[in-house]
Amino acid sequence: MDNLIFIVAAFAIVWGALLAYLISLRARGV
Amino acid sequence: MTETTIPRGNTLPRIRPWLGIAAAASFVVASVMALFWAPTDAVQGNVYRILYVHVPLAWLAYFAFVVVFLASVGWLWTKNPLFDAIAVSSAEIGVLFTGLFLVAGSIWAKPTWGVWWTWEPRLVTTAIMFVMYVGYLLLRGLSTDFSRRATRAAVFGIIAVIDVPIVHLSVLWANSLHQLPTVLRAGGAPALDSSMLLTLMVSLGAYTLIYAYFMTARVSLERARQVRLWTT
Repeated sequence: MDNLIFIVAAFAIVWGALLAYLISLRARGV
Repeated sequence: MTETTIPRGNTLPRIRPWLGIAAAASFVVASVMALFWAPTDAVQGNVYRILYVHVPLAWLAYFAFVVVFLASVGWLWTKNPLFDAIAVSSAEIGVLFTGLFLVAGSIWAKPTWGVWWTWEPRLVTTAIMFVMYVGYLLLRGLSTDFSRRATRAAVFGIIAVIDVPIVHLSVLWANSLHQLPTVLRAGGAPALDSSMLLTLMVSLGAYTLIYAYFMTARVSLERARQVRLWTT
């Protein structure tokens, strides 16, 4: 797959940030 | 100091687990469709798949800031603290989504345009939108008086929404490197393959559910915070 590194990086950053925000909500008491 | 009565009670409790399950399931389906099912673009190749996260996040960020605007009007109109909780929650999630679609767009731009960033109208107006709503969140920390801070934030939230249509229409108003609207086009059908459109719509549905899940959780947190800090 061409430009694989860019695709993986974009998806990983978005997924990671959404997961981090979910964890932060849990940590704040949800 | 202005006294504001904060009603007790959790208003968004029961649907959250179901929203979470629906969001997670649709997120998995959308990701598989975006990475493996959607066809390769004839011009851009596979790197265009980044747009399946970039575009829904951008639309949801717009939506989040419109919610900030509506909730801000609601606060000024009724002085019901629920509206302030909705406004700050939507602003926080909107800032997250804006940051993410800026980063995803930048990663897409490098192999497509040859640069990570360029000072063209869509990108600049989006950066301004991002900074304005970061400012909105910072502004809220300037006062410890609940009513005063909610009112200041509401005024800011009403003014800041002006940038949302400016961001969307900037590609039409100015000579822009960013591509023109492909789906939300005035007077025309979406200009993309039906399987690509379906993947985009499934992704939009997934990120909408994620936004809704985050909102229910964040609003509940803010309501609990209001009760803890400002109950009179």
